[in-house]
Amino acid sequence: MAYEDRAFAEQLAARGVTRRDFVKFCGSVAAMLGLSESMVPTIASAVESAAGSKLYPAVWVNGGACTGCTESMAQATYPDVATVVLDILSMNYMETVMMAMGADAEKALYDTVNNNEGKAIMIYEGSVMKGWDGNALRVAGEPSLKILDDLAPKVAAIIAVGSCAVDGGWVKAGPNTADATGVSMYLAEKGIKTPVINLPTCPVNPEWIVAMVVDVLLLGELESGAILGKLDAQGRPKLIFGQTIHDNCPRRGHFENGEFVYQFGSPEEAKGYCLYAMGCKGPQTQTNCPIVRWNNQTSWCVESGSPCIGCGNFNWVDNGAPFLGRMRKVAIGSGSHNGGFAPGVAGAAVGGVVAAALGVHAIGMAATGRLGNMPDTEDVKEHDRKKGGDK
Amino acid sequence: MARSVIDPVTRIEGHLRVECEVENGVITDAWVSGGLFRGMEAVMQGRQPSDAFYIAQRICGVCPISHGHASTMAAEDALGITIPNGARIVRNIIEAAQFLHSHILWFYTLAALDYVNPAKALEANIADTYALAEAAGTSTANFAVVQNKVKTLVEGGDLSIFTGAWLDHPGFAADMPAELHLIAVAHYLEALEIQAEASRVIAIMGGKFPHFMTSIPGGTSWMPTEEKLDDVLFRLMRVRDWVMNTMIPDTLAIAPFYSDALSYGGGTGNFLAWGVFNRESLEMKDRYLPNGAVFVPTSGLTVQDADPGKIAEYVEHSWLSEGESGLNPADGVTVPPKEFPGYDTGDKYSWAKAPRYDGKSTEVGPLARMIVAYLRGVEPVKALIDSTLEKLGAAGKPEVLVSLLGRVAARNLETAVVADWSLEWANELIAAVKGGGVEFFKPLENDNGKGRGMWEAPRGALGHWMNVQGGLIANYQVVTPSTWDISPRDKDGVRGPMEEALVGAPVLDPERPIEAGRIARSFDP
Repeated sequence: MAYEDRAFAEQLAARGVTRRDFVKFCGSVAAMLGLSESMVPTIASAVESAAGSKLYPAVWVNGGACTGCTESMAQATYPDVATVVLDILSMNYMETVMMAMGADAEKALYDTVNNNEGKAIMIYEGSVMKGWDGNALRVAGEPSLKILDDLAPKVAAIIAVGSCAVDGGWVKAGPNTADATGVSMYLAEKGIKTPVINLPTCPVNPEWIVAMVVDVLLLGELESGAILGKLDAQGRPKLIFGQTIHDNCPRRGHFENGEFVYQFGSPEEAKGYCLYAMGCKGPQTQTNCPIVRWNNQTSWCVESGSPCIGCGNFNWVDNGAPFLGRMRKVAIGSGSHNGGFAPGVAGAAVGGVVAAALGVHAIGMAATGRLGNMPDTEDVKEHDRKKGGDK
Repeated sequence: MARSVIDPVTRIEGHLRVECEVENGVITDAWVSGGLFRGMEAVMQGRQPSDAFYIAQRICGVCPISHGHASTMAAEDALGITIPNGARIVRNIIEAAQFLHSHILWFYTLAALDYVNPAKALEANIADTYALAEAAGTSTANFAVVQNKVKTLVEGGDLSIFTGAWLDHPGFAADMPAELHLIAVAHYLEALEIQAEASRVIAIMGGKFPHFMTSIPGGTSWMPTEEKLDDVLFRLMRVRDWVMNTMIPDTLAIAPFYSDALSYGGGTGNFLAWGVFNRESLEMKDRYLPNGAVFVPTSGLTVQDADPGKIAEYVEHSWLSEGESGLNPADGVTVPPKEFPGYDTGDKYSWAKAPRYDGKSTEVGPLARMIVAYLRGVEPVKALIDSTLEKLGAAGKPEVLVSLLGRVAARNLETAVVADWSLEWANELIAAVKGGGVEFFKPLENDNGKGRGMWEAPRGALGHWMNVQGGLIANYQVVTPSTWDISPRDKDGVRGPMEEALVGAPVLDPERPIEAGRIARSFDP
């Protein structure tokens, strides 16, 4: 069976990937997609047979990007980026890695979409730059909006990777000089109905892209429409973005015990205590970072001693800053997708020990009464005060 | 006479257009246009200095570590903080890991395809490929499998990232053996894993890469454990071995086939480095790669200290032209236009400003750093450059480095130097932790001050300026390496460094100016 495909195994081996690594990867994809372990051979053979047949046409378009999501994709390990772009997808346009340049590169973009109408996948990285009639970003002598205007209606789906593509990201943060927005918002303005799968965080975690590629393309969920049922109201796959970081945090035990870090470089930090008092946005941020982790599962933000800054939240900079030491009242208990977390996750869990620990250290934290004994928040954030907002 | 255009310039970070005038096969004039304006500096206004660290690094997804460090240093300078020694060493290692990651990615993933042609790899004889790899002193791979993979791509018609490529371009060195093309393609694939390994060092110490979490103003939030220190050291050793046994020999094997690139692509000959990798003094001049300014056309191969006070940014040919021109970034402004002025090479044609050092159009990057370090007698840089010049048949002539090939070689030599130093720093940290009492963080106390963080990204000199009033950022300015290198003309009409480097370069086919692509990418813009 294809699962034992020798040629494929040799190709992997040439890149230092063993059979075991590959099966491990298929297992992690299955887990991420909420599939049972019995699906692992199906995923493996889907990947292998994709490698041996006509590849799936795809284009990767950079909007107002820092290229961090492409970079992040390049950190994918099982399978590595070469497997994704050479064995599964035919990535005919990807500015940062493609060999072609100039007009021939643009031709590859347009030909791929036009010659595969309704079939090609577009991966979009970076903010949609609307400023100055789209001249905030010029590509091939034109405002880059032209690429979305021309091609978005003709692709099967768009995967918006990274917070910039999802909602404008940091580029949209106040005062949003260049009028940035996200892909799905822009398509809604233009009345373009192409489905958009949103994969926020800054940058995107490559494992999520790989999981979507397998799910959407190889398992045929785009064609069947099944994928749409797996997305939440923000167009994010529920299985990846359905739980908060706090839900799965390995430091959760310290939270329950009221063991907090109050200063970087302290003995508490050395012990790996909970970073909630340092402003951790884990309770409000819905991603599976603690499980999937980053850079081939090497580590993740909280493990490195840093509070989560909520880079996967809606308008994460304006809603999350100041990132250290404070929680924002607006975010607590909103219970919605807009940077809020579900009450009952952290709120119900803040018991006497936690409250005592937070209270003993007089760092401006007092019970608000809103959600048990949560630490206080600023009533008006300085940045918003400046802008005349009242959040 | 014809206009030859590359837009977009692919295989770089960001959006760039290169337009050249070509006469009798030679570029006679050039305009480089930065295509994107996002408004980072405005986003900073009114936020806390520590927020700037998290946000500013998102200027660049390939060099976020350097932006994070420059931002944090600006905050520390503004608020009068001297970081503890433990944090200094941790930052050196994280920065080194990013340099290794970035340079490996640049050479193999971004630049190599201007010199190496996968189509030619199909003609290679496998046995000869192993023999050549051995002769060149570079590592071997499963060459048959790699060749077969390329064959499958070409025959299957799904060219993927090679779609639309100029595989038949006469600009590829005709005498470069097919076997060397195949070796390079194999290492192109291998490099993906090695650059990812370097990134994993950042992930251990910074949470993830790209974009990291730990180098906050005051020090670092990462605290080492024995296990993590071992992990860092082991991974750095793996990367270092690959650089020495694969990347450096590959560079030396391919370079002779493009030795004509020693005779063009040099640019303005003015170089600037703020320096990178701090010693305990934290002084710019004392850094492992020290600061310095070199003006070859006017002062020859002599180096002077670099002074951030000598920067002025001009906007006459930029779309950001409504602010005052000629300001130093400490008091700089970024004023976007009310109406888009239009693309006009005779007037305004780029989102980039035109920074000038002491009035001069000045190049930044590994070439600038290596020249400065060479002239300051920094070892092992000096010895390494001398031996490389000998191998390139230019012994005792460091001035040949002011060229396209010199710029490529400088980056790869720097990779070797930093790879060695990274192990030194990992061991320094291990010793410091074993010794006990090492500290990693000092809290912020002040609320007001003006500061700057002068540092280096892999692609060149980087500065962040921060003015903090009442605990909030009142003004923020950034001068990125690319702003120096891709700068448009200044108030006197003097070309930017990349524009100048393009002038005089040969172009075989103005419709497919692969040589202009090589020069643009040699800056790693």
